[in-house]
Amino acid sequence: MTERLRQTVRRLLAEDKVKVVIGYGASKAGTPAPPIFVTRPEDADKLEWNDRCFANLSVYLTRKEVKALGKAAVVVKGCDERALVVLEKESQIDRSALFVIGMACDGVGAPKCAHCQVHVPRFADEVIGTQAEPPAPPNGPNGLDRLMAKSPAERWAFWTAEFSRCVKCYACRQVCPLCYCERCITDKNRPVVIDTSATPKGNFAWHITRAFHLAARCIGCGECTRACPAGIPLGLLNQSLAQATVENFGYRPGMDLAAEPVFGAWSPKDKEDFIG
Amino acid sequence: MSTVLSVADLRGRIAGWIGEGKVVVAPVEVGGRLLYQALSAASQAVFDARRRPANSIKEFFFPRHEPIFRYRLEGKEIVLSDVAPEEREQIVIAAKPCDAAALPILDHVFNWDFEDSFYTARRARTTVISLACAMEDDACFCTSVGSGPADEAGSDAVLYEVEGGFEGRGITEKGGGLFDRTATVRERCEDATVRSLTVAVRKGEIAKYLEGNFESPIWKDLTLACLGCGACAYTCPTCHCFDIVDEGNAAGGARVKNWDSCQFPFFTLHASGHNPRSAQPQRQRQRLFHKFLIYPQKFNAILCTGCGNCERNCPVGLGVRKVLEAIDGELRRVDEKEPVQA
Amino acid sequence: MSFEPKIIAYVCNWCTYLGADLAGTNRLEYPPNVRILRLPCTGRIDFNLIVKAFEMGADAVLVSGCHPGDCHYTAGNYHARRRWILFRRLLETLGVETERVHFTWISAAEGKKFQQVIGEITEKTRAMGPYAAYQVLSGVSK
Repeated sequence: MTERLRQTVRRLLAEDKVKVVIGYGASKAGTPAPPIFVTRPEDADKLEWNDRCFANLSVYLTRKEVKALGKAAVVVKGCDERALVVLEKESQIDRSALFVIGMACDGVGAPKCAHCQVHVPRFADEVIGTQAEPPAPPNGPNGLDRLMAKSPAERWAFWTAEFSRCVKCYACRQVCPLCYCERCITDKNRPVVIDTSATPKGNFAWHITRAFHLAARCIGCGECTRACPAGIPLGLLNQSLAQATVENFGYRPGMDLAAEPVFGAWSPKDKEDFIG
Repeated sequence: MSTVLSVADLRGRIAGWIGEGKVVVAPVEVGGRLLYQALSAASQAVFDARRRPANSIKEFFFPRHEPIFRYRLEGKEIVLSDVAPEEREQIVIAAKPCDAAALPILDHVFNWDFEDSFYTARRARTTVISLACAMEDDACFCTSVGSGPADEAGSDAVLYEVEGGFEGRGITEKGGGLFDRTATVRERCEDATVRSLTVAVRKGEIAKYLEGNFESPIWKDLTLACLGCGACAYTCPTCHCFDIVDEGNAAGGARVKNWDSCQFPFFTLHASGHNPRSAQPQRQRQRLFHKFLIYPQKFNAILCTGCGNCERNCPVGLGVRKVLEAIDGELRRVDEKEPVQA
Repeated sequence: MSFEPKIIAYVCNWCTYLGADLAGTNRLEYPPNVRILRLPCTGRIDFNLIVKAFEMGADAVLVSGCHPGDCHYTAGNYHARRRWILFRRLLETLGVETERVHFTWISAAEGKKFQQVIGEITEKTRAMGPYAAYQVLSGVSK
């Protein structure tokens, strides 16, 4: 698959179909494949495809330094591609000005693949590889099931302990393709809305905000959890909201470009059993 | 003669220190990571010369959040109150040498034009016991910046892994209170793999390159992958930038000092709205310059101990080593074209 | 001194606020524990306002607006309802005491309902006691 990928990229660049290809580069075993930006056909050989291609490269499509390079091609796994759908729906990318190279992925391992819903990209301009077998779904209760089996007080204690390690590095935010605000609410300081301090109050406020600003938008790529240097299971919050989104609105972000986004719409049938 | 201490012996000593009301910091397994934490129980401490915690010990001298004074409204008066400096004694045990070596480097800036008494109080009250390193990791490059697996800089005492356990030796007077300074220790780490870049951050050469290459294409090409988070800065033993923020409401609050990262988009945002480092390549360049040119020019110390945390914690595997290697590659290219006169 | 709960009520200007006003003009007594914050519409109520109320020491929060179909801005309350459906799940996942977060539709004509709702919430919260967990988290001293 790597050779086919390189051939495709060589062709795209030689024919000037795109100015830059965002893909994965070489890495030693056990370390993540770094994102690379190939602009010359002869550099296509720097591209790799393996089970260490963790990063969601769609995050680069909204970064101004990358946009300045011109028309791009991006290498995506099935999970990553869901971000492209949401970005397009939210008018953050011009799909017609993007060449999507979809990789049929056999999985990059837990925990990212625990919630895989799209194994082969569906809307790519070119799909490379066919999938032998989709990653095996986990058996038994997952992290969210175990969390919700606890009492509210136990859950509070769990998150208090987890967030005590948060240093507010915002790796979770920067790595997320859907956190593309030029000025995040945490940067607002006249007045301050979210304390920037890595205190219990500041950390809870940030993580509530991060999770809820991604409600019905998060596509479950698991990058936030992977990026956290303190090992906080951030994805659990996103997962619980994704579950609530499916239960209440039958909506899965990034699956169907035509579907109405949850917060952009409303229905007279929305439940209100909790409203007095 | 030195005694060989088992992990149980060391944990026993730790339990004693905790019982005396001291704060004891050691590597702990938590969240699927190894992290330095203040211990609640001696059994948490992990002694493994082959692993490196994902964070650094700087937060026990320079906390991620520190109130520097408090205010409250009493009637029409604003009452300010000082925050008392840390009084409890601290012991950091099983620190990596690359973490301990960062402390003398940080001492310069925290005692420079103004003494940061919050930092110096903690420094005075803390004993650092390092565990000489036996790690083999591609991200490490301590020997390239003048440190090494058995570097004693910043350590008050050192533990060496030997057969059957650990041997300890006091280095400073403070450390001598815990471990005999005259102990002879079989130094197993002398034959540990020398970890370096393809070439060392040779005396002055990286700095000279930086001086002459503010506009190098390296800044743009290599740093496009950088997402602008603070994972590198916050896990780095030597990074020390901070933000001063007033927190609270009309009734009361505090002025606080929080960690800041030069990679955040608004790190250099001016009140006028101008941002001299509005693009990631500029911010990445600044980080390299600060560590390998500016800080050495000011304090004659490289602002890096080669621990590799930046690379390991970076979500996209960047880190200063890769950039240094690129610069090193440039230097070799130039060398080959114009061989140095013998 | 027995515990007096602090209730923060975020209410919409056109319905619940007027309903509260009606309670007042009709001299319907309700507990003084509630602090009413008037916003143009429930659609404007950011989830962070609920968080902030707890951060600042509230023991319970009420969010109230126009009945579905009656929103002064046509659909603001519908958007709010959707938001609340998901936000409640997030609060549950975090272990926040969701019994302290209340949502109601109270119209400008329902002064009596406003009185009843505030009375009920105040007594329920009094029985629950202060929201110590959030106050410890936020460093609020009482």
